[in-house]
Amino acid sequence: MKDSSSTYQPPKAADRFLRWFCREELLEEVKGDLFEYYLLERKTKSEWRAGISYWFHVLHFLRPFALKRKIQDSNFNIMYKSYFKYAWRNMQKHRTNTLMNLLSLGVGMACFIFIFIYIKGELSYDKFHNDSDRIHRVVIDLFESDGGILPDATTPPALAIALQRELPEIASSTRVFPKWGRKFLIGANEDQQYFEEELIQTDSSFFDVFSFPFIHGEPKTALDAPDKMVLTRSMALKYFGRENVLGETLTIYGSNNQVKRISAVVEDVSEFSHFTFDFLTRLNFNNIDNNWGWWNYYTYVKVNQDTDMRALGGKLLGFYESARPDQERYAPIYTQAITDIHLKSNLKWELSVNGNMDNIYIFGALGVFVLLISCINYLNLTIADSLKRLKEIGVRKVFGAHKKSLISQFLIEALLTIIFAIVIGGVFAEALFRNMGDVLGRNVSMLQVENLQVFLLIGLTGVVFGILAGLYPALHMSSFKVASAVKGIVSKSGRSAKGLRKTLLVIQFSISTIMIVGTLVVFEQLKYVQNSDLGFESEQVLIIENSRRISNQETFKAELERIPAISRASVADGIIGGLNWTMTVGTPNGVLMNYVVTDPDFIDAMGFELLEGRNFDKERPTDAQGGNLIVNKKALSDLGLTMEDVGKPVPMFSNGDSIINGTVLGVIEDFHFTDFKSEIKPFAFVYRTNTKDYSYIKLNSTNIGQTLTQIEEAWNVASNGAPFEYYFLDETYASLHVQEEKLSNILLYLTFLAVFIAFMGMFAIANMTIKDRLKEIAVRKVLGASVTGVSGMITTKFLALVLVANIIALPLSYYLMSEWLSGFAYRTDLGPLIFTLALGSTLLVAWITVGYQSVRAALINPIRNLRQD
Amino acid sequence: MKKYQLGEFEEIVLLTVGVLYGNAYGVSIKEEIEKRQKRKVSVGALQSALRRMESKGFLDSEFGESTKMRGGKRKRYFKITALGKKALDYNMQTRLDLWNQIPDVAFEFKLC
Repeated sequence: MKDSSSTYQPPKAADRFLRWFCREELLEEVKGDLFEYYLLERKTKSEWRAGISYWFHVLHFLRPFALKRKIQDSNFNIMYKSYFKYAWRNMQKHRTNTLMNLLSLGVGMACFIFIFIYIKGELSYDKFHNDSDRIHRVVIDLFESDGGILPDATTPPALAIALQRELPEIASSTRVFPKWGRKFLIGANEDQQYFEEELIQTDSSFFDVFSFPFIHGEPKTALDAPDKMVLTRSMALKYFGRENVLGETLTIYGSNNQVKRISAVVEDVSEFSHFTFDFLTRLNFNNIDNNWGWWNYYTYVKVNQDTDMRALGGKLLGFYESARPDQERYAPIYTQAITDIHLKSNLKWELSVNGNMDNIYIFGALGVFVLLISCINYLNLTIADSLKRLKEIGVRKVFGAHKKSLISQFLIEALLTIIFAIVIGGVFAEALFRNMGDVLGRNVSMLQVENLQVFLLIGLTGVVFGILAGLYPALHMSSFKVASAVKGIVSKSGRSAKGLRKTLLVIQFSISTIMIVGTLVVFEQLKYVQNSDLGFESEQVLIIENSRRISNQETFKAELERIPAISRASVADGIIGGLNWTMTVGTPNGVLMNYVVTDPDFIDAMGFELLEGRNFDKERPTDAQGGNLIVNKKALSDLGLTMEDVGKPVPMFSNGDSIINGTVLGVIEDFHFTDFKSEIKPFAFVYRTNTKDYSYIKLNSTNIGQTLTQIEEAWNVASNGAPFEYYFLDETYASLHVQEEKLSNILLYLTFLAVFIAFMGMFAIANMTIKDRLKEIAVRKVLGASVTGVSGMITTKFLALVLVANIIALPLSYYLMSEWLSGFAYRTDLGPLIFTLALGSTLLVAWITVGYQSVRAALINPIRNLRQD
Repeated sequence: MKKYQLGEFEEIVLLTVGVLYGNAYGVSIKEEIEKRQKRKVSVGALQSALRRMESKGFLDSEFGESTKMRGGKRKRYFKITALGKKALDYNMQTRLDLWNQIPDVAFEFKLC
């Protein structure tokens, strides 16, 4: 019989689709239902309509209950599920081990993440500018008295203009004139004025070179008129309470007030910029465009695409010679890529404290070391653990486990541990960032998007490396023969595993020892720097800024000296160890002389000792004129003078053909005014009667708080409303060693962690070794061995390992640290004490960790370990 | 009581399976519901309700004969289990209880 069903066919594609997704056991019935219903519909509807309806019902079948559970049914999947189960159970079974593993891996991971993110930040400086690879800073070094060269970041103002004019490679150039210690009183009106430091004066081409992100305004027109001003978002909020402040005006108060129109608002300057600003204004000095003598501008250029920087470097010197025909010698002129400035440039007068490439290398190495130590720990513990799981492996093999499936099982265990460790590491790293924000100098959090990405990346690499690290134990364990595995016989490979374990322990401890030595040396050097005699009395010296606002400084000083806790007050135009000027002194061979303009009280107040000659004298007006100097010994010898020449007129300045004489009035001992990396340089004091920038107050006080209040009272009377901003001279000196301090801080943390991890590893290994040998210990005891004998037997083996590690590490660390110290002109000795300390401490801690366990093992009643067999 | 929980659609399907005793399979249930309730039912929705109730133990099913009408595919006949009956009873009982609890005034809708 031929009925309708054979003539009507539902859409084939829909059928295929249904077959693809629908579960097997539902399919027959569903297809039947659908087909029957289709036939029903065909009776009343067109083929097309019925087809649509068929499709509709098929698609409506896309429900969870109907979908094929491909994954669930596969054998593969079931096995993997059980691997996870076993891994989890195994972790729980060996809690101590798991905890040690996770802690050490987690801590290692945290250190690595911490350092990775820190370094990534350091390396990303100034990369936010568009075409940052084309932006360069042009610098010119200075000649020093001894013919040496003083690397210097500053350039004269004429340079940028001449560069742009003469060299076709330069697309644009701009000058940056920083605050140079000045403060600007800025206000929107008379009532709302603040002292601002971060004001940079620059050219209209500033945004041709740099690309700070704009919020309002246009880079092209931002600084195209002399009265225009650019400010940052936070400054706009501070002065106006809103962001869009285009067209508003701000006044810079001074001897003549300047009214500035705000032409643009930019984002706050990124912390990854080697200079920062809150305000930008146009340079408004006269006659600077042809000035080759003022070394207080920074020159930045953007070069054309595909410029050969080396060729440009060659052209620069020729350019400089032709631009300055008056010079006898030409100091090196060269360019620095802007992205290199933060880490690689260490010139005088950098715009901010720069990082240090060496430290980056050191930190990077440390990060890898700590991670390595923790990985070794992991490897060690896993291998040791594997030897105890021989029986399990044997049984698995007997029940038909393939080598492949054993490997996957162990890999999954490794993976599980590592994923846990990564999570722990992330949490630890976050804790580190929270606690060490001040050491890093900026706020970092794992939760920042870019750091989260880094974390995920590290996590991913961690997993990959974890698999590689897990591969050894996995291969190792799966390679045992069934019979020997079941019997628990450790074959040759077991012995080789123990050999590997020892090697890894030695590596771990070598690294730890090197880090201990390194930390000790860095601390010694820091202590040396902090405790060494600077050549004058720098303690309890208070410096007050803005002293220029005091009209009569002599009265103010007298007022201060009436306070009993103040032994002396003085004023000067620079900060010893922070800010001083330079001039060329001596003829015909000029000496680059650092100098500070002071009053006659300065030498006394600062406790400089006069070796020869006399101090400036208020009663002798000629002291405050011409080249009358008090110099340090280094300056005297560099000038080619001896103590005999003190007080006699000597040729000092040449002005064209005429030579002007000056006198060295007095000589003082050499003193440190730069960091300890460089030799002491020539320094001079000059006496002038004008108003000066900084007040120096030598305190003799036990109650600093009270004295400060008294000083502030005196200040408020004399200062015409200028804010009382002060600091101690010690702080300036401390800031010279920021890099070393940062290094020592981070080193201390990392060393502590590395040693912690290493000893945790040793603890666990010792624990296992002892457990393996419990029977042996019991037998020995039964046969009459003493507790000390037994514990000594175990302890000596570990101590020997530590000793070997020290023998490797100590010479290596000696070499490394003398390299590091050679960067300092004034440095501490690498005494034997440091090495003894490192050796002693590693041995001691090893002895305690192992000794404690071995004694405990030796004290167990032998019966407990013998009765089972 | 969670044990006897029935959704509105589930309840209708379950009752319809009861109504169609002996002839309750996909298409017949669908048609019965559509006829009585005047609502559209998709095969998928119906099947998922059937499966759900089968897994709850309210329904039992077995394959029937194959017919030409279905392109050689067998039907799966459903019938209510004892538990399913209980669930229906329970559902009806709770509704009746609630119904009886309603005070008469609640239904005195007056024009005001």
